[in-house]
Amino acid sequence: MSALLRVENVTMRFGGLVALNDVTFSVKKGSVLAVIGPNGAGKSTLFNVVTGVYKPTAGRMTFDGADITSKPSYEVVRRGIARTFQSSRLFSDLSVLDNVIIGMHTRTKTGVLDALFRPGASRREMAACVEKAEALLQAGSGDLYEQRNRPAGTLAQADRRRLEIARALASQPKLILLDEPSVGMDDKETDALVADIKRLRSGHPELSVILIEHDMRVVGAFPEHVMCIDYGSRIAEGSFETVRANPRVQEAYLGKAAAHA
Amino acid sequence: MGLSASPAAPGAAAAAAFTILSQLCGAAFLYVLLKADGSWQVMGLLALLGVGFFLLERFPGIGEFITASLTRVPLVTAATAAIIVLGFPFVVGSNTYILHLLIVAQLYAVLALALNFQLGSANIPNFATGASYGIGAYVSALLALNFGMSFWLTLPIAALAATLFGFIIGIPSMRTRDTYLALVTIAFGVVVQQLLNNFDWTGGPNGLVGIPAPSLFGHSFASPLQVFGWKLPSQANFYYLAAALVVVAVVTAQRLHGSRIGLAWNALRADEIAAKAQGINVAWYKVLAFAVDAFLAAFAGTIYAFYVSYISPDNFTFLVSVTIMTMVIVGGMDNIFGVIVGAFLLTILPEKLRAFSDYRLLFFGVVVIGFLMIRPQGLFPQRLRQYGVHR
Ligand SMILES: Nc1ncnc2c1ncn2[C@@H]1O[C@H](COP(=O)(O)OP(=O)(O)OP(=O)(O)O)[C@@H](O)[C@H]1O
Ligand SMILES: [Mg+2]
Repeated sequence: MSALLRVENVTMRFGGLVALNDVTFSVKKGSVLAVIGPNGAGKSTLFNVVTGVYKPTAGRMTFDGADITSKPSYEVVRRGIARTFQSSRLFSDLSVLDNVIIGMHTRTKTGVLDALFRPGASRREMAACVEKAEALLQAGSGDLYEQRNRPAGTLAQADRRRLEIARALASQPKLILLDEPSVGMDDKETDALVADIKRLRSGHPELSVILIEHDMRVVGAFPEHVMCIDYGSRIAEGSFETVRANPRVQEAYLGKAAAHA
Repeated sequence: MGLSASPAAPGAAAAAAFTILSQLCGAAFLYVLLKADGSWQVMGLLALLGVGFFLLERFPGIGEFITASLTRVPLVTAATAAIIVLGFPFVVGSNTYILHLLIVAQLYAVLALALNFQLGSANIPNFATGASYGIGAYVSALLALNFGMSFWLTLPIAALAATLFGFIIGIPSMRTRDTYLALVTIAFGVVVQQLLNNFDWTGGPNGLVGIPAPSLFGHSFASPLQVFGWKLPSQANFYYLAAALVVVAVVTAQRLHGSRIGLAWNALRADEIAAKAQGINVAWYKVLAFAVDAFLAAFAGTIYAFYVSYISPDNFTFLVSVTIMTMVIVGGMDNIFGVIVGAFLLTILPEKLRAFSDYRLLFFGVVVIGFLMIRPQGLFPQRLRQYGVHR
């Protein structure tokens, strides 16, 4: 099976701090990779490097057969990688619906001249976007659809996370990067989130997911491929069982003292 | 109408009546304001306006009702507006001073709408709109004076020249932000004004004189306008020309706002990093905002040059840019109607405050601050987009 995303020997330095240290991994088409690791391990930095927010100090990344190292963010999204942010970054003064429609930016094409001189085409494009956006809002758990005309900034925490996912899906990605989607959700909402992701995968068997999670229940729901990062380095990779049993992982999570106690 | 009808959803007939009535009231207020002289009259009108906006702020339902009515019957709204705009000069009659004020107010409305793409939609500060306005005026005036080109031909050429300028000032916006970008645009604005002042071929500080009046189908804009036996002063020609430009600017603003381009600008205003993550080429959209701003500003500049027939660098100072910015902020960022109201108010007010002679500027400042205190988001704040209301 061919790899959709291949990350090879990627290093990211911020001044003296090595946030990612020679990280190599790949994600297969249609699979889920769960990334775990203690706070400050470099997980979010990994997303930022893959999506072109940061240029890696060293290393190479390919996606769908093309080199995406140092490509600008908009180019990466156009090729099919969408993401959510750990501390949700919604367009808070725009409606919920508009947030999702903006997610379709790379799948729409009205330019300035089209908007000015072919208003009909522009309006039809927007109408199609509205329809798709409403479908996306109805697909997930929660009642985002009912709240579609509210400013996104007024949503409750769990809805904000769901909206970020809907917005990311709006770009019809081949790979979606979810940065701690369960933060701020209670147990019930987290279960619904897991169900959402599972439903999404069965609806889109080609879609790959990378999931950063602290909640081991979520990781346990996608146990096939788990990677643990600590101090920027990949310290373990494999099934959830083997990674969890790895002494280095336990050490990273519990601290050296606890591991030796 | 049943009791169950919510106040924000009037019936079509009621909405139409209300639409016509409210627009007529607005026009009447404008007329009275234009006619007012003497400090008491002006103060009274300002107090009335203040109370009106205070009520709007206290009871948001009023605003919702008004917008619901206006959007319920868009054709009636547009037709009423058109009749008011077309008929206004007939009501004003031979008062050329009022016509002059209205022409300037409309040109400022276009400038404010131009800046609104940046400041309102994308929250990019730009203190060089006055410079783009000047470039439009100078390019068209030079073409007319040196090559005898007609007004109608200079219009698009001046706009293209200013757009090029817009792209150039837009380039630093890819790298700098906020305060630094504001400084860069101030520098551009000042440089343009200084160049106009120092070049020989722009007439230096004396500017350009004797720009010929445009003509259309053999009718010179310098001669009075005859309509159905009515004789309107020559200013009426430019009044209608400026009104046509306002329509162009409004249509441009609406179409861009309603398309994915307006959404992309709003996205980068709200959160630039998130906008990038949606695949928006943020640098390009910023430069684009500068270009659209300059394009429309140049149109206003061309009409201004041909209207007053004499331009000098003093017409396009940094202060002009600041005034345009104030209009957008007071009127309401990213609200097309609000921006126009802001432009009219801030054009007419300083003239009317002449009654306060020495305290004019002080009073003007107090009024602007007062409005911002009553309506902190601008007189007519930005609204959420509504989709499929008529479905
Ligand atoms: N732009 C930046 N400049 C400097 N240092 C950074 C930057 N971004 C991240 N870092 C540092 O890189 C390290 C990794 O941060 P990162 O956000 O990737 O951690 P994380 O694994 O996502 O942690 P958490 O679980 O808390 O989200 C941290 O020490 C952080 O301070
Ligand atoms: Mg993180």
